[in-house]
Amino acid sequence: MFNILIVLSVVLSVTSGHAQIKNPQTETVKIFGNCDMCKTAIENAGNNKNTANVNWYKDTQMAEITYDSQKTNRDEILKRIALAGYDNDQFLAPDNAYAQLPECCKYERLNKAPAMVMDHTKMDPPAGRTGMEMPEAKMEMDMPSSENHTDMAMPEMMEPNALDAVFDNYFAINEALIKSNATTATAKAAELLNAIKTLKIESLKTEEQTAVTKVLPSIIESAKSISVTKDIAKQRERFKVLSKNMHEIITFYSSDETLYYQYCPMQDANWLSKDKAIKNPYYGSQMLSCGSTVETIGNKN
Amino acid sequence: MKKIILVLLFLGTLSLQAQNIVRYDLYVRDTIVNFRGKEKRAIAVNGQIPMPTLTFTEGDIAEIYVHNELDEETSMHWHGLFLPNKEDGVPYLTQMPIPPHTVHKYTFPIIQHGTHWYHSHFGLQEQLGMYGSMILNKRPDDRTFRKEIDDLPTIPIVLSEWTDIKPENVHRMLHNASDWFAIKKGTTQSYAEAIKTGHLKTKLHNEWKRMNAMDVSDVYYDNFLINGKSENEDTSFKDLKAGDRVRLRISNGGASSYFWLTYAGGKITVVANDGNDVEPVEVDRMLIAVSETYDVVVTIPADNTAFEFLATPEDRTKSASIYLGDGIKQLTSPLPKLKYFEGMEMMNGMMKMNGDLDQMGMNMSMQQMDMNVVMYPEITGEAAKGKDKKMEMETEKLPAHNMDQMDGMDGMKMDGDMYKSNELSDITTLNYAMLKSPTVTTLPEDAPVKELHFTLTGNMNRYVWSLDNKVISESDKILIKKGEKVRITMYNNSMMRHPMHLHGHDFRLLNGQGEYSPLKNVVDIMPMETDVIEFEANVEGDWFFHCHILYHMMSGMGRVFSYENQEPNPLIPNPALALRKLKGDDRDFHWMAENDFATNGNDGEAMAQSTRWSFGTEWRLGYNDMHGYETETHIGRYIGKMQWLMPFVGFDWRYRKLAHNEVEENLFGQKNTKDKRSVLSVGLNYTLPMLVMAQAEIFSDGNVRLQLERNDIPLTSRLRMNLMWNTDKEYMGGLRYIITRNMGITTHYDSDMGFGVGASLNY
Repeated sequence: MFNILIVLSVVLSVTSGHAQIKNPQTETVKIFGNCDMCKTAIENAGNNKNTANVNWYKDTQMAEITYDSQKTNRDEILKRIALAGYDNDQFLAPDNAYAQLPECCKYERLNKAPAMVMDHTKMDPPAGRTGMEMPEAKMEMDMPSSENHTDMAMPEMMEPNALDAVFDNYFAINEALIKSNATTATAKAAELLNAIKTLKIESLKTEEQTAVTKVLPSIIESAKSISVTKDIAKQRERFKVLSKNMHEIITFYSSDETLYYQYCPMQDANWLSKDKAIKNPYYGSQMLSCGSTVETIGNKN
Repeated sequence: MKKIILVLLFLGTLSLQAQNIVRYDLYVRDTIVNFRGKEKRAIAVNGQIPMPTLTFTEGDIAEIYVHNELDEETSMHWHGLFLPNKEDGVPYLTQMPIPPHTVHKYTFPIIQHGTHWYHSHFGLQEQLGMYGSMILNKRPDDRTFRKEIDDLPTIPIVLSEWTDIKPENVHRMLHNASDWFAIKKGTTQSYAEAIKTGHLKTKLHNEWKRMNAMDVSDVYYDNFLINGKSENEDTSFKDLKAGDRVRLRISNGGASSYFWLTYAGGKITVVANDGNDVEPVEVDRMLIAVSETYDVVVTIPADNTAFEFLATPEDRTKSASIYLGDGIKQLTSPLPKLKYFEGMEMMNGMMKMNGDLDQMGMNMSMQQMDMNVVMYPEITGEAAKGKDKKMEMETEKLPAHNMDQMDGMDGMKMDGDMYKSNELSDITTLNYAMLKSPTVTTLPEDAPVKELHFTLTGNMNRYVWSLDNKVISESDKILIKKGEKVRITMYNNSMMRHPMHLHGHDFRLLNGQGEYSPLKNVVDIMPMETDVIEFEANVEGDWFFHCHILYHMMSGMGRVFSYENQEPNPLIPNPALALRKLKGDDRDFHWMAENDFATNGNDGEAMAQSTRWSFGTEWRLGYNDMHGYETETHIGRYIGKMQWLMPFVGFDWRYRKLAHNEVEENLFGQKNTKDKRSVLSVGLNYTLPMLVMAQAEIFSDGNVRLQLERNDIPLTSRLRMNLMWNTDKEYMGGLRYIITRNMGITTHYDSDMGFGVGASLNY
């Protein structure tokens, strides 16, 4: 009897191809995902040398999980996968892990129950998008999905200013530099380039056109050089020029918030901010609150 | 007939209520646990870890029978409770420890409400599982009863940690500056890592200031636990729906871990602290210090979902979770890894050459400025890599001349704003300044005031922790008078934070809330912070005041407050003996030994060290007479707060056969055959910048020797380098690769014994 068991388990482990996992147990579970990129991410998150092996199938969105039942368990593996951004039978991914997934991986979050409407947020989530909605979204990091949300809401509220996208991306770069996050700065600079490319100069007034055309080449150049490097020192150097040029055209931008033109004496450089409190993009955490406001640009709406 | 019985029963319950005696029996037993695949000894009470939750209502009389079924003594402390001194459970101070296989009865009236906890105060038993919740409910007719808070469903939560290493061994390893915990935590901050991340200058600066690697915790733990488990599905309220609110009564029963608390379902509302109500305050996250308690209210935001409540230790190595609600588990983001080199750079800036901390005029207090934010990626961004470090380094020199350039109000806010976590990000972190009592807490105005000042002092390298550079055994009891207001000002001049706990009293924490200053019994003081507390001396007895990090307390970081002219404690029949025993804790010697079994000989040392004394012997034993045999024994006393200086007396013995009566000459021209030498010596050890140990020694035969030595240079996370040179023209260079806690492989070159490789064992 024992022999049969041993033979059986040997055969099983050979066929399943993870001979290295002892005391193997295999289960099939649902893990949400879309594409091959998801497959890699899910399997990398779940796999653990000698104790866990995950095979995820794109078509069925099912995964075969084999693990050493003495060393780990299904939930441990599924929790790792959820922390990487992928909802499954047992766990829902943290909202910002999901938000940080590449666009193609943003599966529909069917398992996520709609959040109760909190007293202080009167807005009902738009029907049909509930699966994507985030309850009490904690804005810990840059959250693309929350930006999407504002982008979506904007057109209904007012006529978009042609320069909105340009300035939005400028502030996003600024934010990234404050947090010393070169990768985000790079990405946002690329988006800024895009925004400039799609900018309809003819929709501006004549005087605006002249001013904008004057500084545009310089803005493009500095945005480009920020977008091609991951060296934050270079990005900050370029950001000085960018900030100066953005200030040139600030008068044509009608922000719904008060803006501040701020100055860092150590770098002899300025930047624009929506925040009255100094958050110096040229030093990151080192000297975050060093600097002063030199000009307050009033809310024009 | 039935009616009579019913009436009798009714009367029975009534009379019980009138007496209000609530009895618990606690059976303390050895047990075996298996957290990491190995069976280890732990201590369970009534068969469980944590100990059972004890629930009382204000006005009850508690009767707790502790059945000590261990083969060792024990003692139970009721943390945060107002009680007669002899019930306080501090061995050798308020009672003699409970002998093995006996029963001890604790009894006291419950005269307060709130979330408290209890734990063993004997030795290191707390680390082995002896901690539990103690919930004191308000009476429903209490006028401070808060609707929507005090009537919510409640879950008691005890946070703790587990290590497979015996606590005694943990304590010994800490005292011997073992870097095993750092290796396990990944916090070695070796030169290789420093170079890779562009922080070489920071690392050099750090060692120049005689500091070891930056760290936020002392011990590596295998597991972190919520109510005894790392993954905890709450089963007490399975029918929670969207919109329901739950009150968590959280005690930190960890021996040395602070915990970050975060919640997948949104904000956390803090409603009480250390058992005292506070005005509700909403935060995104909070740090609970060792031995503190917090009551928080959280909301379940969605149906059919269990929301993760996450407790992450300050070092963020692992975490523990409890899921609130029923259904699929909604996770919250784990806290990102700490940026240790940024922390090291911050520490470099704060540390003066003499080992004091430099406040730079920042007047830090109440956890509002957290220097550690420089290490938190979620607040200050991801670690900057590579070249831009250079630019950031330059800023260090800038502030001085820039101060003058800046003028006015919008100018440089150098002093500390850069460390104010809540101003740097959208994440709201709880700090003490946000705590406000709902009732006036002022003490009687006419009471005389006794002012006390303590500087919290410490030395990580030697793991000595003290107040005013004196440990418990080196200080007298502090006499206070009944009726006095005792006001204590504490300044933390050490590099670690300390949760200072006062027994038997609540103190007011003067946090800027004036009359509504919150009442607490633990105050966490961060490095460089100054905090002021005051309390009314209203219960006679000997009350312990100590750092609640278990290993700091056992190293002697504390004091005893004693009331003048008080009645003797009947549970301390022999006060002199008890006092000696109490002081025994921090007088212990901690042993270490290591030997390198190499191809060219044996190298090793053994040492026993206490707070101030060091007995050490080193040996080098060759395999033949030509290589020689030698030992050096030193008995020294550490001087000063930083303990860089150690004068010693010594004894040297060596035997070596040199060919043709060859004579060695040292740099000073003194001759020495070394063939057979046995001499006495006196000398000095001094730790130089870069952690180089300089040694000057004069021997009874008139010879003088100067020696420079640097051991354990962390090249990579596990590779260490040793270098030595002296005026006898001896030198040595070696490498050691650490394989396990007790074993390494080595290679070294020695001027006496030549080149060798081997294996080293250490204890």
